[in-house]
Amino acid sequence: MKCLFNFLTLLLFLSSNNILAHHAFAAEFDRNKPVSFTGTVTEMNWSNPHAWIYIDVVDSSGDVVNWALETRAANNLIRLGWRPGDLPVGTVLEIRGWQARNDSPTASLSEATLPDGRQLFSGSPD
Amino acid sequence: MSPHFFIFLILVSGSLSAQILPRMTDGKPDLQGIWKPVNRASFNLEDHVARHDMPPGVSVIDGGTIPYQPWADEQRKRNFVNRSSEDPLNNCFLPGVPRIMAMEHPFQIFQTSNHIAITFEWQQVYRLIYTNDAAPMYAGIESWMGNSRGHWDGDTLVVEVIDQNEKTWLDSAGNFHSNDIIVTEHYQLLDQDTIEYRATIEDPNVFTRPWAIQLELKRQTHTNVILEYQCQAEKEEANGAFERDEKTWYPAPIPSENEPFDAGASANLPLPTASEEILRHPDGTPNITGFFMADAGGANYGLEEHEREILLPPSRGQVIDPIDRMLPYQAWARAERIDRQLPHRGYDDPTAHCFVAGVPRSHYVPAPFFILQSPGYIVVLHERMSWRRINIDTELILPDTIRLWQGNSNGRWEGDTLVVESSNFNGKSWLNEVGDVVSHMQTVIETFTPVSTNQLIYRATVSDPIPYTRPWTIEMPFNRENQELLEVACLEDNADLTHLRDVRDEYRRNQNVE
Repeated sequence: MKCLFNFLTLLLFLSSNNILAHHAFAAEFDRNKPVSFTGTVTEMNWSNPHAWIYIDVVDSSGDVVNWALETRAANNLIRLGWRPGDLPVGTVLEIRGWQARNDSPTASLSEATLPDGRQLFSGSPD
Repeated sequence: MSPHFFIFLILVSGSLSAQILPRMTDGKPDLQGIWKPVNRASFNLEDHVARHDMPPGVSVIDGGTIPYQPWADEQRKRNFVNRSSEDPLNNCFLPGVPRIMAMEHPFQIFQTSNHIAITFEWQQVYRLIYTNDAAPMYAGIESWMGNSRGHWDGDTLVVEVIDQNEKTWLDSAGNFHSNDIIVTEHYQLLDQDTIEYRATIEDPNVFTRPWAIQLELKRQTHTNVILEYQCQAEKEEANGAFERDEKTWYPAPIPSENEPFDAGASANLPLPTASEEILRHPDGTPNITGFFMADAGGANYGLEEHEREILLPPSRGQVIDPIDRMLPYQAWARAERIDRQLPHRGYDDPTAHCFVAGVPRSHYVPAPFFILQSPGYIVVLHERMSWRRINIDTELILPDTIRLWQGNSNGRWEGDTLVVESSNFNGKSWLNEVGDVVSHMQTVIETFTPVSTNQLIYRATVSDPIPYTRPWTIEMPFNRENQELLEVACLEDNADLTHLRDVRDEYRRNQNVE
């Protein structure tokens, strides 16, 4: 967990302005579908121009749904000092975002908060 | 003729060729030029007979065969059987090193004392080889093309390539490696038209010992340009996933309802001036080599000023001419621009497909870029994996029928300002995510003016009689940063495109129902 905390210390000071988009977020995601829930990280995919965080979320009927959360480019995170593996599987995150228009369990991540209240970072251009 | 005379001839010709090797001003052999390998190694590094998808060829490996570990030899055989579906190049992925050097697509080498750039026809891949002894800034970050560091050993360029991922193959036959691969390349100029290329491959996870390949690279004396083979774009046009825009793609005509285009309308803005001493080369020309990031102010989200909205970042507006800071659209093109911002049109933005961004968008897409000034050229390497070659000494005019995503660019220095004129665009680009319009008729005049050690002021004047009533100009600073390029392998995980296609398809279904 040490590297996670180093990373979080760094990210506390980040703004959300320096995102690296390659497509229109407003076309893919729906501003009328805000989502917020708490889940546990199952995977992070380090890719460009967008990295993805996957989290397991228990829905209202008790089923586990794996959500894909779109965030900044991996290169952007690397330049901020983050490295693959810095977000351990099992990390609990409370997230906010905007769901994809196609109603898949996909969202543009706008806020991710740890149980102690610290913000992770935002990935969507809102 | 006596045997001694033959030996004499060989000695004389050998020493003559050594004397006439082209050299850079720093004394190093001049590798600049357009090159292509002469072999069938890209199909199979080993001896192979012809097959339907594979012309025959002899091994380019020292000793003939690859020294696989037993398990890896089995994997290689499976790869060969499944090659038509499993070869990463079938998905237009980046080929890695040394495969890219052996492919049948030509490439151009640009050389300075501190850097060597290689720009490839294939998918506009490039390599930036640092020869300045700098330690890698991002050692350990794996990528498809790896991290190349070079030095000169006498007249031989030696390049070590580290941090390649395990996803690339070594050829079309399924020869493969792990992410522990280290490739050491040797480039030796034998005569002005021939490079002997050797690559030693070490990967103890897969092979029993290091092994090497040797290729002959020949200068392409019949051409002075590398064109584009945009693998993914061509594939999607062929299978219908990316559809023709009749209004902008070559050779779309000027719409009959257009207002006349006023080519002479211009504010004639004075160029920016330097606020402090700028970096210069020994010959006095401005030194604009280096890593830059545009302070684009949201140009990728609209060239006209707008406020932040949910899921749309703001734009400060980059238009400086016309004076009202609005793009001088023809009425139909303004309507098209508004339509393109509707959700079902998000799929149509070429960069959502990971295609090349075009000019001027490549500079503010947003992603950083590296400018390299080599004798006769300026080449811009965009982190979003594309490149632009700007001819400086010799103007290159392409036939009207040759149409390119990045166009054809000729540049010149006017005082301390680099002026670049570009044409021959294909009209497939969008200027940003909200769909500001350009067509194949666009010509672009860009100015790069150094105003301080670490800043260029960039302007682009676009003249395009299809969507506009007059030329217009945008401006933004480019800031030099102490950074190195990383790699954007956009195609490796483009889930966004699937979602955008769903939105488009649902819209079309609803249209059909009505």
